[in-house]
Amino acid sequence: MFPKRLRKISQAPEKLYYRGVWDKNIFQKAIAVVGSRSMTKYGEMAVQKLVPGLVRAGYTIVSGFMYGVDTAAHKACLAEGGKTVAVLGGGLNRLTPVSNDKLYSEVLDKGGIIMSEYEPDEVAQLWTFPHRNKIVAGLSQAVLVIEAGEGSGSLITAKLGFDQKKPVLAVPGPITASLSAGTNWLIRNGAVAVTSANDILEELGEEMKASPKQLPLSLTEIQRQIMDELDKESLSADELVRILKYDVVVVGQALSDLALKGLIEEAGDKYILNIKDVD
Amino acid sequence: MASNGLSAIEIEVEVNVANRGFPGFNIVGLPTKAVEEAKERVRTALVNAGVDFPQKKITVNLAPADIPKEGSAYDLPMAVGILVAAGEMPLPDKKKYFYGEVGLDGRLRHTRGVFLLASLAKEKGVAKVFVPKLSANEASVVDGIKVYPVSSLIELVRHFNDDKKIKPLKNLDRGELIEEAEVEFDFSEVAGQEQAKRALEIAAAGGHNVFMVGPPGSGKTMLSRALPGILPELTEGEALEVTKIYSVTGNIEPGGGLVRRRPFRSPHHTSSRIGLIGGGSKPMPGEISLAHRGVLFLDEFAEYPRSTLEALRQPLEDGVISVTRAAGTLQFPAKFMLIAAANPCPCGFLNHPKKACSCLPGQILRYQKRLSGPILDRIDIHINVPFVEVEKLRLETPAKSDTSVMVRQRVRSARQIQQKRFAGEVVPAGRQGIFANGEMKNKQIKKYCQLSTDAERLLQQAADKWQLSARSYFRLIKVGRTIADLAAATVIDYNHIAEALQYKVKG
Repeated sequence: MFPKRLRKISQAPEKLYYRGVWDKNIFQKAIAVVGSRSMTKYGEMAVQKLVPGLVRAGYTIVSGFMYGVDTAAHKACLAEGGKTVAVLGGGLNRLTPVSNDKLYSEVLDKGGIIMSEYEPDEVAQLWTFPHRNKIVAGLSQAVLVIEAGEGSGSLITAKLGFDQKKPVLAVPGPITASLSAGTNWLIRNGAVAVTSANDILEELGEEMKASPKQLPLSLTEIQRQIMDELDKESLSADELVRILKYDVVVVGQALSDLALKGLIEEAGDKYILNIKDVD
Repeated sequence: MASNGLSAIEIEVEVNVANRGFPGFNIVGLPTKAVEEAKERVRTALVNAGVDFPQKKITVNLAPADIPKEGSAYDLPMAVGILVAAGEMPLPDKKKYFYGEVGLDGRLRHTRGVFLLASLAKEKGVAKVFVPKLSANEASVVDGIKVYPVSSLIELVRHFNDDKKIKPLKNLDRGELIEEAEVEFDFSEVAGQEQAKRALEIAAAGGHNVFMVGPPGSGKTMLSRALPGILPELTEGEALEVTKIYSVTGNIEPGGGLVRRRPFRSPHHTSSRIGLIGGGSKPMPGEISLAHRGVLFLDEFAEYPRSTLEALRQPLEDGVISVTRAAGTLQFPAKFMLIAAANPCPCGFLNHPKKACSCLPGQILRYQKRLSGPILDRIDIHINVPFVEVEKLRLETPAKSDTSVMVRQRVRSARQIQQKRFAGEVVPAGRQGIFANGEMKNKQIKKYCQLSTDAERLLQQAADKWQLSARSYFRLIKVGRTIADLAAATVIDYNHIAEALQYKVKG
């Protein structure tokens, strides 16, 4: 009954509490997706880009149920119809963070498992979180780090992955972004840089299937120009006005139109290309 | 005259100088401290004016006796009463109003509420009013009465003894008094922020409320300070409404007459609730009423206490604020354009291109929650004011931008269209009329906002995609109406709604 992979790691937990339906198959193909609590839009985009492909390939997403990347990974998995395993840093009756109340039930409703090595009423402590990372890594075939600052807890998970002789994958980020400092450091120290779900599947020894290309939509001239500019970098409406030298009224209309078509979306005060259309 | 909120009550000042009894000076009729002290002011002023102050028992009664009297305006009528009793001047034949504070040297000082007095005189059919010269311009705005500017008690005595008449003021021609606003910044001086400027143009044209979110230093305050420059001038009716409020609160400067510029009020977020909303034991209009027909700029919107923001709901909806005290309920007009500005997070640097935001996700959520809800739901236009990177601006030579005068011209034409549109609206009693698109209720939206088929489809798509509430749906139509008016279009088209979508609630 105890997951086989977990039994192999050093200092394996002696007992596990869980909620949900125990299904051994859930651990057959599993990957840990972890990252910073203070996720940026970039991190969210990365999750959106990578997780659905993994789920479609039949992988269970294992993560730590914290806010930030963990939550995004669980959600992306559920949205794609997958099953997810959440390993809590405290007892099962002590929901942390409280804001994930809905997610808690959703994980269970969709056939996932919520587990913890702590007594049901034990309160999460600062040190229990890094400790539970051992299980997150232990349950998985590989550890994928989406975003991590220097000294982030996800680097601990990555290190445990190295220790457990599992592939550690990291999403490279801009060298100027503090929340990519950790992932870039991992890449320099032996982690595999991944930029698509296919990269990850390849690393896990899966066979590739070609994904169907998106059909081009009919766009006006200005909309096409906006798409081209946003492909280079994310820009605010004002910046687009200045670069394209169109009137702000026209740019605004085009942006609304593109957003409605689902080609772009607003992130903070900038616009970005919608991630599902990037591939 | 005593004021009760913005309405006035006639007060009769009776002066009796009795030949019997100990010499003295008594005031009855619920005088407050300022009225009580009139004794010393009036006595000294009369003596210094060379009047033989009667050494007799003087009793002043302020009738009706059960209304509390306050302020210094009763000085002049008391002095006149004593002057008549002392035989220095004859008793005026017809009913006249005297109003004003007296200085120790017998000169008259600027007194608040003169405009209200003049309105009361007109209402009661009193032909002549005598008010301090410094405040007389306020009264001369009201037509149908004669306003005598009095500079000192001696002048008044001479006038009634037919030695030297005071010339009544000419009624001011109100149309000429309306001035263009003087503004700190011209619209063309604001670098970048194309979208925010366009949004403010729409807001000014349709009287919509605006919510700006942006990091510190991005230009939120500058934009709002430039706003008065693109607002249309006050109409005559509006100017009178504003003058009344300003007169009662003593906000008209000595010598000033009609309030000629659209008010722009920017109270600080530590202002007390009563200072902002209005009230007090003797209810007075607050900042939101002072912003009537103008702009109320609330910077650091999230820092205002929740209770204060919630109190803004009624004025945002109805254009009036009711102040209820044990003594009764008063209503002050408060039809203003709300311009609210806030940082995106507690530290202010969320989404900033250069500085890192040091807030935890929970903090940001809590901060944004403080702003959400019914208040944001009553704001039509939501915009981001991103930080402008100066070097980027220089590289991408900024597009030529319109000056305030050019923008105001467009705003004015759009407002004219709206005036025609709402001219036929029947105003229920006690309510104010509709002047701008921003004031439309659902009924008027259905009546005046015709959407093209394309526009309707687009709106439906947007509602489905972003799960818009019924309120935001109607708000979009209102903003679309104004955008169409700016383009002088009768039907709201696809492009108008597409642009309006840029200004919907974020997040």
